[in-house]
Amino acid sequence: MTAILELDHLTRAFGGLKAVDDVSTQVHQGELFGLIGPNGAGKTTLFNLISGFTPPSSGEVRFKGEVITGLSAHKIAHKGMSRTFQNLRVFPNMTVFDNISVGALGMIGVGPISSLFGGKARAKDISERSYEMLERVGLADHADDLAANLSYGKRKYLEIARALAMKPDLLILDEPAAGMNDSETTELAHFITGLNKEGLTIMLVEHDMGLVMGICERLVVLASGRKIADDVPAVVRQDPGVLEAYLGGDEG
Amino acid sequence: MSKSLLIKLGLLVLAFALIPALLVGFDKGYYYQIATIAAIFMLLAASLHLVTGVAGLLHLGHAALYGVGAYVAAILGANHGIGFTLGLPLAGLSAAAIAFLVALPTMRLMSIYFAVATLGIGQMLYLVFLNWVGLTNGPNGVMLFSGINLFGLEIDSDLGIYYVVAGIVAISILVLNRLSHSYYGNALRSLREDDQCASAMGINVTVMKIQAFVISAFFAGIAGALWAYTTGYISPNDFHFSQSILILTMVVVGGLGSLPGVLIGALLLILLPEALRSVGDIRNIIVGVLMFSAILFLPKGLFGEVSALNFARRVLGQGWAAKKGEKGIGWK
Repeated sequence: MTAILELDHLTRAFGGLKAVDDVSTQVHQGELFGLIGPNGAGKTTLFNLISGFTPPSSGEVRFKGEVITGLSAHKIAHKGMSRTFQNLRVFPNMTVFDNISVGALGMIGVGPISSLFGGKARAKDISERSYEMLERVGLADHADDLAANLSYGKRKYLEIARALAMKPDLLILDEPAAGMNDSETTELAHFITGLNKEGLTIMLVEHDMGLVMGICERLVVLASGRKIADDVPAVVRQDPGVLEAYLGGDEG
Repeated sequence: MSKSLLIKLGLLVLAFALIPALLVGFDKGYYYQIATIAAIFMLLAASLHLVTGVAGLLHLGHAALYGVGAYVAAILGANHGIGFTLGLPLAGLSAAAIAFLVALPTMRLMSIYFAVATLGIGQMLYLVFLNWVGLTNGPNGVMLFSGINLFGLEIDSDLGIYYVVAGIVAISILVLNRLSHSYYGNALRSLREDDQCASAMGINVTVMKIQAFVISAFFAGIAGALWAYTTGYISPNDFHFSQSILILTMVVVGGLGSLPGVLIGALLLILLPEALRSVGDIRNIIVGVLMFSAILFLPKGLFGEVSALNFARRVLGQGWAAKKGEKGIGWK
């Protein structure tokens, strides 16, 4: 198996606090990979290091064999990495369709000149790709609604559709199940595994273990910025260190 | 003929035939003057709309860039014999060049700091207009006696001047319309909504913001040249901070992010004070109260962004139909 994403001794310190401390791991092509950890474990920071929102203090990130450490977020996006945000960041005052179109147009590219002269082919590409994703997440009936007026669950799917419109090689989902009830979580799990079966590599960041344990092939557990486990769910579940981190040693 | 084409033709006939016919009916230079000023301010509002309404950057120095265009056109025309045909694009390019220099260091600033930076730059340019007497003739302003000479054709009638101004404004607004009602417009809107998120979508936020700012300044410069040529005299006060606020008010009252809205806003804020001239100085209070109530009762503007985008897609036919028979949802 080839690695699509490699983290090499990544560290990020904020002042004296090491939010991410010497984390190394690999995500393989086509894998459904999980990253979990209790609140404050450094998941989102690690995630921001990967996607270019925060530069690491030391260490290296390689994506498709290429070093991407220090590149800005939009350049990393162009390499084929797409992310969603933990606290649901859709563009509230834009319609559902227009939201998704931003994912497509960022990749296909638009400029003032092309939108004035003969950008018809590109516009058609953007429209078709956006509409495809819109139908894919079942929001076609809401195409004209403002994103702000959608229900919470639908906005989650909108955010995923927007990320998919980028046609990424690696999709990173930051706590997609946060705020969802059990049946919604199950539905989401089906949707995510469906995407993965089509060959999309997915990295799932969660603090709730249920979803990740259920669908991921392999996972990394973070606690206090350190990697404490990196294995298949069945092994991670039995790991005393993981139980300690999650349950605070109450059972031990 | 499709409905969208009929509406487009209707708008065109209204702007180019009906308005001059009405003006000829009144047969007074004054009405031409008002119509010309209204057209110039529609262009100013439409250009600010791209930066403030669509891209969401609070820009408080628009009038100063408009001033750059006016001074460049007036000084070139009065002292260097460069006429309207060449002076007009040069005015736009100079304003755009200054905007580019200003944008480089300021575009990384966060919203409110950007607003203060543009305020400072507006004030700086105003002080240049006022105090660089050798170049701008200071508070006395610049007189521009040469009329509009378009590609060797001398245009001296009121009607002719109106046509030239209306034509240039119409072309400029069509360009701005295309930019804001397209996927390029969507990209700019995403910056307004959440620029960090936009960068995760692969959008180069800084470059996009600079583009919007520079394009907007170009059209402000064009408006400035039109102003210099139609009034024949410019002075620093035409480009004072209060003018930036007037243009901003047009954008907000009309509807942030809505191009048809800001055009209505500009018309209203130019025509209303003129229409109320007979009631004396109390008119300023009436206009103020109307502006206040517009914001209070129509916070999204006279013609809000959502309705404006639907109007562009469905009625003007700029939209892309997802399926056969379905009205547009994306952009062509």
